[in-house]
Amino acid sequence: MEKINGSNPSPFKEWMQRKKESIRKNTNIVRELVKKNIKVQYRNSIIGALWTILNPLLNMLVMYFVFSGLFGKDDKTYALYLLCAQITFTAMRTATTQSLPSIVRNRGLLTKNKISEYVFPISCNISAIINFLFSFVALLGVMVWVTFSQGVQVFSWSILMTLIMLPALFLFNLGMSFILTTMYVYFRDIMHFYNVFLTLWTYLTPMFYKPDTLLKGMGPVAKWLIEFTFEINPMYHFVEYFRDIIYRSVGNPVLFPDVGRTLGIYGIGILFFGIGILIFSLTRKKFIYNI
Amino acid sequence: MEIKNENNQAPEVEQMPSAPEAEKAFETTDATTAQDEVKEQIPEPETIIEVKNVSMDFYSRDEKVDNLKEFFIRLIRGKLEKKKTRILNNISFSVKKGESIALIGHNGAGKSTLLKMLTGIYSPTEGTIKVKGKVAPLLNLGAGFDHEASAKENVYLNGAILGYSRKELAKKYDEIVDFAELHDHMHIPIKNFSSGMVARLGFAIAIDVDPDILLVDEILSVGDENFRRKCANKIDELRKKGVTFVIVSHNIGQVKSLCQKAVWIENSELMAYGEVNEVCEKYQKYCESLKH
Repeated sequence: MEKINGSNPSPFKEWMQRKKESIRKNTNIVRELVKKNIKVQYRNSIIGALWTILNPLLNMLVMYFVFSGLFGKDDKTYALYLLCAQITFTAMRTATTQSLPSIVRNRGLLTKNKISEYVFPISCNISAIINFLFSFVALLGVMVWVTFSQGVQVFSWSILMTLIMLPALFLFNLGMSFILTTMYVYFRDIMHFYNVFLTLWTYLTPMFYKPDTLLKGMGPVAKWLIEFTFEINPMYHFVEYFRDIIYRSVGNPVLFPDVGRTLGIYGIGILFFGIGILIFSLTRKKFIYNI
Repeated sequence: MEIKNENNQAPEVEQMPSAPEAEKAFETTDATTAQDEVKEQIPEPETIIEVKNVSMDFYSRDEKVDNLKEFFIRLIRGKLEKKKTRILNNISFSVKKGESIALIGHNGAGKSTLLKMLTGIYSPTEGTIKVKGKVAPLLNLGAGFDHEASAKENVYLNGAILGYSRKELAKKYDEIVDFAELHDHMHIPIKNFSSGMVARLGFAIAIDVDPDILLVDEILSVGDENFRRKCANKIDELRKKGVTFVIVSHNIGQVKSLCQKAVWIENSELMAYGEVNEVCEKYQKYCESLKH
């Protein structure tokens, strides 16, 4: 091999070099985009980045006052039940709604420079995960509050399992984002459909209600139908997984949420990521002619 | 005939008495001993852009179908066939290192499309394009700016897009700000900038790269008189360094003073390619004939 190559680098090496160069360049772009996203988010407010923490907290408070009487009567940790679902769902919502128009919105960049199309959905998704971590601080605050006001010790080592969940959620979000942003390039009314769909999705996922309370006294068919809807809803699995970590770990010394469940969320994540990246990579070269 | 050893041939271009002589002068610029057309014995400047039989088709539907509703209505009616439009047809030319070439022609002739193909944004439907070295596109300054973000953030974002790491940019940052003369405005969101300021910042970032090839699209007319002169100086400086320029311009005077070669494209076809004065003359004649 070396003999053939001589002083000229082999085409393969050259190709590898170019790939490396382009990955380095695009990583830099993603980093700058993420930084910009986070900074711009709350630029015009006095308390700035604090909003990232306050926002889920205030939202949770509203829902808490409305629903705690209804669903959280005999649950001292209902606030956690709510907040777990909320920040998980919000991470998905921000990631997908920001990624959806990202290719079209950045047409100025895409049609004037040679940039990889991947950087836009990826940077939106990284920003969403960073926002999730900010919200996590809010969650920790609520946990402290519950511990003192309700007298329930809610902290356990299983909090660390959040780190196991995040990559799976990230993959799922990214897959969804790839699919949505590709569709948006071709069909601009997707955004309206998706917004409606998100509202429906919010109600189909047990965020503030508890499935047990809901299913009580229902006929077998309705019961089966609702349970089936939960099962095929990816967000249900993520929300429940996060609740296992934070909410159900109370007084429960199990560190690892079910192995089967973990495999389950990774399965969902990888499946959606696979479909998403397939669609995106096959069509991305044609984007510039359609935006 | 005078033999020049330096690489810079810009100031001489206008003084060349006639086209054929001018052509010879260019051929000898990089070589010390060239007296005639014999090129073989001298190390020839390498060809860094080669465009060979390039054609480009755009597919578009009669009326742009960009929403689901329209798509399904047309799907049912069977009105979804695409229309093929040829933007460029069988274009060939090449550029050697250190040379500058102008793309001329009327609006919509396909010049900007060609420039985007050289950048690698579009890929040709037929034919091949070979480009060696680092390409910096100067297309539509400030198009890549995020108007909510501050000027500083935009410098870093745009720098990353041009292929610089944060470290490299930190070094260049002061230089860029100096050139753009925006010292007191770097923390202000771009949306509060005047269009001239945006263009200045865009130019300062784009020009502060070390490209082998610079693609310039109609931007040499940004900013006030002062800034324009500064841009011209900077471009001269880069030319002395041996940077290759590909320029799209409607300003024939500018084209003649900056370039040695020109490519004239009209209605997607290559009309003429060669020494700048010859091509410009043909182009101007054609323009005259259109008026009558």
